[in-house]
Amino acid sequence: MTGARGKAIVLWGLTALSLVTLSLPTLIIIGASFTSGDIIQFPPDGFSLRWYERLFGLESFKGALLRSFYVSAVCTAIAIPVGTLAALGTVRYRIRFRRALQVYLLLPFTIPLVVSGLGMMIFFGEIRILGSLWPIGLALCVINLPFMIWAVSASVNALDDELENAAANCGAPPVQVFFTVTLPAVMPGVITGALLMFILAFNEFLVSLFLVDSRTVTLPVQIYNSIRSVITPDLAAISVVYILIALAAVWLLDRLVGLEIFLRSK
Amino acid sequence: MADTTTGRKPVSWRMLDAVDRLVAAAWPRGAHGMNGYLFILPAVALVFILIVGLGYMADYSLHELDLATYRLKDEYSLANYAAFFERPVYLRILGRSLLAAVIVTAVSIVLAFPYAYLMVRTQSAAIRKFLLIALFLPFFIGQVVRAYGWLIILGKEGFINSMATALGLPPLDLIYNYPAVIFGLVQYMLPFAVLLLTPALAAIGEEVELASESLGANWVRTFRHVLIPMATPGLVGASVVVFTLTLTDFAMPQILGGGTSDFIANAIYDSYFRISNLGLGSALSIILVVIGSALVALIFMIAGTGTLGISGRNK
Repeated sequence: MTGARGKAIVLWGLTALSLVTLSLPTLIIIGASFTSGDIIQFPPDGFSLRWYERLFGLESFKGALLRSFYVSAVCTAIAIPVGTLAALGTVRYRIRFRRALQVYLLLPFTIPLVVSGLGMMIFFGEIRILGSLWPIGLALCVINLPFMIWAVSASVNALDDELENAAANCGAPPVQVFFTVTLPAVMPGVITGALLMFILAFNEFLVSLFLVDSRTVTLPVQIYNSIRSVITPDLAAISVVYILIALAAVWLLDRLVGLEIFLRSK
Repeated sequence: MADTTTGRKPVSWRMLDAVDRLVAAAWPRGAHGMNGYLFILPAVALVFILIVGLGYMADYSLHELDLATYRLKDEYSLANYAAFFERPVYLRILGRSLLAAVIVTAVSIVLAFPYAYLMVRTQSAAIRKFLLIALFLPFFIGQVVRAYGWLIILGKEGFINSMATALGLPPLDLIYNYPAVIFGLVQYMLPFAVLLLTPALAAIGEEVELASESLGANWVRTFRHVLIPMATPGLVGASVVVFTLTLTDFAMPQILGGGTSDFIANAIYDSYFRISNLGLGSALSIILVVIGSALVALIFMIAGTGTLGISGRNK
């Protein structure tokens, strides 16, 4: 087992185990959504699209899906300017207490989600914005903001500041430098971050659970509320929506910046 | 198109110039030293929402529930914190969460290391792409959907059990127990672990491995004495993230544990929404924050901050 063959067997064996574990729920959900039976069983009852048909007639599902899109759009719209500026501010500018500020900006990751969610539920309740939809987008932006800052920071680190100096030297005023030199240079980071923010907000469950009510319920909470001990295929059809959106996000990320960006050493 | 004959600039240029004039008037050059602070101000303000929330919870945690009115009493007390240490159920839940965090971290790292290694080292671009997609697809699918997938597979009337019944075997209890929760969590954490390990492994040149092998070490020894020590920053980063995410998880114990394997987050949820004891729930929350932070600080002290360390370019 210590030879080259042993190495390949051990490493690929463990990786195959990971691949099965990672993919099995997705594959099973897709399979289950096409069953013609009322329950999920083996061997399957046959192929049908009836659960998808039912889905399109379901007003509660359509409402939750639209609300999820809205909430994720609000989250992304806030995250793009806030995260981009924060990444530029912490990496590029000479500021005091840089380390302390960076640790502070990582708080959304260090405070447990259950605590962040309840805290925002209490705070939003106190300022009477609980029950609206947009605060959920704001909350999801807060808890995932470090992802946005991290994605843009990577691009900012790769940007040569001589470019900005050159533009300024040629007479470009600061705002022009920002929009014509700085922003295009960090765009890959902004795109990566925006995509991450959208997809994470679209999937976020726990914080949403605290902030929604029956009128503002979003799709992940709707799915959670519909899970019963008897497993029916309608939820599988809803879940396939998530799989499709995840596929689209992976494809977009690969097209726009390339997945290999995540393999780079720092 | 710029109309150069009349010397008029395109609209977008003129707008940009106008914005520049406005900014120059509102934000004089002398204030540009403050630019960095101005840029991070919105992010600081957003994160401050969490601090405000924590403040409310810290305050709630110091007020005991009045069972006569079901409101929190006005006077301050440590009764909620005392309740945590006096009721064995909470210590048991804490122990269960900590044990899960240790097991899930260990298993995730063992599975993630070869995955990340092969992804970095493979010569084939197609295999690399395949491994990346297989990793990102579940990463972009939320916990609820993934837990639901496991319910279909492992549930009482799920895939495996209907297969067992078809083969004439007795049904198996695969769900609503601790191992199911651990299993679901490992699946959930694996992409995090791989993505945090990969940069550390990519930073190790292949020639280091070749050097070790040319000196007579087999791959096991190369891994143990060269690769793993050199990848320590990535290992620390991945462990810390997986550990804290597991310790504070809610969805997997809720959906796959079905009340049999509650973690601290589930106890907090129950205090808030089942028994309506905001004081106790808040105290549990503060305890979770303190324990989580203390453990992370401990790991950082022993092993360094790893890839989570704040590098940036220091100028």
